[in-house]
Amino acid sequence: MRRIWLLALRDLRLEVRDRLGVLSALAFLFVNLFVMALALGPEEGTLRRAAPGVLWVALAFLSTLLATRAFGRETEEGTLDDLLLVPGSKEWVYFGKLLFQLLVLLPLALLALFGAAGFFHVPLERGGALFLTLALGSLGYASVATFYAGLLSRLRGREVLLPLLLFSLVVPVVLASVRATAGVAEGLPLGEVAPWWQLLLVFDLVYVTASALLFPLVMEG
Amino acid sequence: MQKTASLSRPDGLTWAFLALGVLLLPLGLYLALAAPPDANQGYLVRIMYLHVPTAWVGYLAFFVTFLYSLLYLFRQDPRHDRIAAASAEIGLVFMGLALVTGMLWARPTWGVYWTWEPRLTTTAILFAVYVGYFLLRGAIEDPELRRKAAAAVGVLGFLNVPISYMSVKWWRSLHQTQSIDLTTGKIHMAPEMLQVLLFHLAVFTLLYLGFVRFRGLVAALEEAKEEA
Repeated sequence: MRRIWLLALRDLRLEVRDRLGVLSALAFLFVNLFVMALALGPEEGTLRRAAPGVLWVALAFLSTLLATRAFGRETEEGTLDDLLLVPGSKEWVYFGKLLFQLLVLLPLALLALFGAAGFFHVPLERGGALFLTLALGSLGYASVATFYAGLLSRLRGREVLLPLLLFSLVVPVVLASVRATAGVAEGLPLGEVAPWWQLLLVFDLVYVTASALLFPLVMEG
Repeated sequence: MQKTASLSRPDGLTWAFLALGVLLLPLGLYLALAAPPDANQGYLVRIMYLHVPTAWVGYLAFFVTFLYSLLYLFRQDPRHDRIAAASAEIGLVFMGLALVTGMLWARPTWGVYWTWEPRLTTTAILFAVYVGYFLLRGAIEDPELRRKAAAAVGVLGFLNVPISYMSVKWWRSLHQTQSIDLTTGKIHMAPEMLQVLLFHLAVFTLLYLGFVRFRGLVAALEEAKEEA
């Protein structure tokens, strides 16, 4: 457990020190939202209806951008093998990287939500429910993204391959997240949104467990 | 030398599966054309005799890929990887056929070839996952890494199969619910139609078994040539 934290915090510190990565991701996110709002606007009803879809597509793009960063630094410095050589099981590397992804992704997702609220007139009254959706969706996305980033980290052309593989696999997560966000934003009773959260939770559990179990098998050798 | 000689030809079982499948297929088609028209859909229902078995073989093939991908990850035996890849390839073809036959049926029934309805969407995603599987295989040169990466996709991608299968139930949608419900064992279909459908399912499964064994052999030959 301590190892996981140490790894995630180390990566986070490096990322914050570097600044360029997070800032460019943030800029990308806002340009994305802005252009979509410009293309769909200015009618308020249309914007509001499109908002959940735009928000999650923007987040999906964002997290593919971020996913390569989880292992990017390790491959550049050639330190991935050192990490994997630490005695004991290797799942912790996966969990550490996943935690790092979430620590970067969640604040950015929150900013994206505010951005969407501004550009697309999404009501924020039920912030708790929206945040729950963001957290569940981000976890589902980050779990697979981190796994693939690790798997492809030793490859040339990983920047192109990763989104290709990732998008088809996480579409269920994006779909469920969009539906849940739309439900909350439209003011449906939470009981009607709950099935989507359950579905997201099931995805998260399955993807995280499957990825954590497969990770050592794929990374060794 | 001895080994390659025995490798270079399909064995009796492969031939038996293929021959049975190919011989019984025309009979199945005859039965499908002779089957009574549906009360609601009329003669259009006959597309189902191709649509359901192709989708079934697609799911079955992806399941086999899933199993052999897992086996490969644990045993690291290239043979398992070859079967997984062969099965994924056949699954992709049959899933494509299921999509096409579904679209041909949808046009006269729903009025459109394609609609973004959960079953169709999840099936299209499933198709995309396995297209990704082959993109990945093509992109990695190191054989061992290629096999591992493909196995990972084979395992994770399969998670979409139950979603696709259950989608008609989870989102009460436009698509027909299952005629043979595997989760409850209930059957909603006239017996004479069911018999024909089951016959087709059996024929397509035989063909699948034959194809997989054949494709696995071809893959083995390719690999042997690569190594030589």
